[in-house]
Amino acid sequence: MPLEFRKEYFADERDDDLNEIGKPTQRQDMVGHVTGRSPFYDDHLFDGLCHIRCTRSPHHHAKIRRIDTSAAERMPGVRRIITGKDVPNNLNTLLSLLDFGLDDEPLLATEKVCYKGDPVAAVVADTERQAREAAAAVRVDYEVLPHVLDVEEAIKPGAPSISKPYPGNLFVYHGKYDHQKLRFGDVEAGFREADHVIEGRYQMSPIEQAPIETCGAIAAPETNDRFVCYTSTQALFFSLGTAAKLLDISSARLHFIGGTVGGGFGGKVDSLHEPMAILGTILTGRPCKYMFDRAEEMQVGAPRGAERWYITDGVMNDGRLVARKLVGYFDAGAYTRLSSYAIIKGVGHLPGPYTIPNVYSDVYCVFTNRTPATAMRGFGVTGVDFAIESHMDVCAREIGLDPVAYRIINSYRDGDMKAHRRVAKNTALIECCQVAAEKAGVKLSPSLLAASSLKDGGGVRGEIPNYTATDQHGRVEGYSSGSYAQGGQSREPVETGRAAPPRPGHETPRAPAPAARTEPASQTPAAARRDPPPPPATPRPPEPAPAPERAAPRRGPRFSSISGLRRR
Amino acid sequence: MPLTVETYPTLSEAARAFAAARAARFMGGGTILMRAVNEADQSFDTLIRTTDRAMTEIRTTGSAVTLGAGVTMASIAASRDTAFLAPVARLIGGPQVRAAATVAGNLFAAAPYGDLTAALMALGATAEMTDGRRQSIDDLIRGGPTRSLVAAVHVPVPQGGLHFRKVSRIKPKGVSVLSVAAVLPRQGGRIENARIVFNGMGARPVRAEAAERALNGQALGASAIAAAAAHAAEGLSPRDDAIATAWYRREVAGVHLRRLLEDIR
Ligand SMILES: Cc1cc2nc3c(=O)[nH]c(=O)nc-3n(C[C@H](O)[C@H](O)[C@H](O)COP(=O)(O)OP(=O)(O)OC[C@H]3O[C@@H](n4cnc5c(N)ncnc54)[C@H](O)[C@@H]3O)c2cc1C
Repeated sequence: MPLEFRKEYFADERDDDLNEIGKPTQRQDMVGHVTGRSPFYDDHLFDGLCHIRCTRSPHHHAKIRRIDTSAAERMPGVRRIITGKDVPNNLNTLLSLLDFGLDDEPLLATEKVCYKGDPVAAVVADTERQAREAAAAVRVDYEVLPHVLDVEEAIKPGAPSISKPYPGNLFVYHGKYDHQKLRFGDVEAGFREADHVIEGRYQMSPIEQAPIETCGAIAAPETNDRFVCYTSTQALFFSLGTAAKLLDISSARLHFIGGTVGGGFGGKVDSLHEPMAILGTILTGRPCKYMFDRAEEMQVGAPRGAERWYITDGVMNDGRLVARKLVGYFDAGAYTRLSSYAIIKGVGHLPGPYTIPNVYSDVYCVFTNRTPATAMRGFGVTGVDFAIESHMDVCAREIGLDPVAYRIINSYRDGDMKAHRRVAKNTALIECCQVAAEKAGVKLSPSLLAASSLKDGGGVRGEIPNYTATDQHGRVEGYSSGSYAQGGQSREPVETGRAAPPRPGHETPRAPAPAARTEPASQTPAAARRDPPPPPATPRPPEPAPAPERAAPRRGPRFSSISGLRRR
Repeated sequence: MPLTVETYPTLSEAARAFAAARAARFMGGGTILMRAVNEADQSFDTLIRTTDRAMTEIRTTGSAVTLGAGVTMASIAASRDTAFLAPVARLIGGPQVRAAATVAGNLFAAAPYGDLTAALMALGATAEMTDGRRQSIDDLIRGGPTRSLVAAVHVPVPQGGLHFRKVSRIKPKGVSVLSVAAVLPRQGGRIENARIVFNGMGARPVRAEAAERALNGQALGASAIAAAAAHAAEGLSPRDDAIATAWYRREVAGVHLRRLLEDIR
């Protein structure tokens, strides 16, 4: 079927005089890709390249009693066995670079393993086979702990606690709640008013992004005491910041080269290959490659997390949705990675592209003993859309309406107020439904055919409800707030019994001697975190306050680097 | 543990070396074994192979066909003598896998691999070992690894043909959710000695004995088919894996058996 352009929509908002957008310009990397000349990270050959393979946990959850590397160290070709104590700053969470969330994931597990495949030791050897042989010869004495693989099981009282910073297995939002809230109007009043109250439960599986090029990185010593790192990362500066933090090294000493990604789909946003490869290089002085094989990519490469959604809709006989309650559980796996952020994004998308006067949502980021989840295309939105749209069909059937008609009735229109208190614009869902109905041969009534996203929006539909039912459900104490909810408040962590989010490191260059550190942070993480972060060696100027949400209006939208977080 | 590869001109020499080695694997086409090599599987340090021509021979003797242990799926698909098995061989892997994958290797492939084995079991094939023993495929794979090698497989040519169905989520190359092989000899219109074998409904291919009982002595009519389908999964214990859950396999086994039987009718 030929592609149709419906250029009549938003014609007045679109610049058709742009130089590239909307023009059939050839992608600059296309010729290289189709002729097989694009260099990917694994195409970089180094004389004397060493290979890194990890010893991984065979258990979902276990305490590490002892790691015995002596036999492995004596094996042929082995240059070095790396364990958690060799990692200068062995605790991280990706979003701590944005001051969001507590460090919860070691590069190499030291106290316990939290999922099947959690790395415990890494072997640097001359050949890949030697590295694999030695990785198999590392003896780890485990004390198997009870594990939990289901989101709702994980938050029941008495469930095994997986994450030290979040003992209840729930991520803490804004230092306040064990879930991300959305309240708009009064959902209970909406249900009382509704002719039908329809419930549904929707469950997604984790999905592996399965790129053709498996995740990895090659590091090598460079001149001037620097390290070069060729990597498959999708987020070069996140990877750079993460490596600098975990290795406690100035990012100025790291030369990252990426850009050609052999398939990512989100799965290469937060790989930890770069710090491992660089650490191997620091410790052996040799170029090192750390690369997932296919089985690792499938087993321990971070997937799109599973989501479970409970949706309750209050619907009138004429098809109007008057209330929607959503309770969602994201399976983050053993560590936070990007799940907490996916939820922020997902909740911004609720209640879907529909105008509903009463909306209530609680969305939980739950830790389980599964592979840590991360981004995958449209993450935070894809899963909840699956649930919402499935439920739309269920409700339409229940009240005897065509699903397309039901959607048109409820679609938001320009000028409507969305539940997260932004005015909807450029909506066009109605037009989309009309075209889809026409193509699918669905007969719509004249009034639905005459509906338009440009008409009948705004007015009362554009107002924030007079009354919004709020509550303190899920309130927690003892955490300090991350920057997402801070507005103009101070960024200093409040002094509490609980861990405060450590700040991204600001290092001064120093010689690479991580193995010589006597008391790595990993050995006393709780205590180390409770203390204020050590003062930097050179005084640094006070950090500028973050631009508060209600800062002076900017010209045009602004996007932060990978998050696409849009401030207006 | 460095890996040693030993190549012998005859299968009997290879078999002797294999029996004497502590941690050796015999290498057929290597489609499974080479993955283990690449992952530095610690359970073996020696690969034994042979260039014996007999391994790749297909011979017809009366009403049976003898397949050398090293006969590949591709040669089964290409040979006139094995036309009755060709539809099964063509369903295994893609062209590259079929060019290397061997008959004997399929006998020891982990579940849910083993589609050809299911067909061989339905046909009542026997394995000839290098120590001269002959045993049914069923006994061979139930017994697990042995110190002798498979030299050849003897396959009776079926009267009325072999019926086979592979169910996979990805077509044409996906791994089996399950597959079903059936040989249904008929005497005066009634089925006698039905042999129905499922692959994917357990740790290895298994006879569906309850379904066989439901068919024996019956004409292949609607009621017999319904009865066989109803009992398809009886006594079988499928497993959960990445392809499907045990529950799903048990639910659909009867559906696919019914479709296979209806196609024959
Ligand atoms: C991409 C892919 C797709 C596949 N698709 C299918 C499929 O659709 N259906 C299916 O059934 N299988 C499938 N397989 C599995 C496999 O390729 C086949 O089952 C094949 O027949 C295995 O044979 P091989 O000779 O390659 O085995 P090898 O890897 O050489 O050996 C497998 C095992 O058998 C043992 N062995 C080999 N020969 C002998 C012998 N003569 N005596 C004793 N032991 C022996 C070996 O020691 C080893 O333990 C697939 C594999 C791959 C990689």
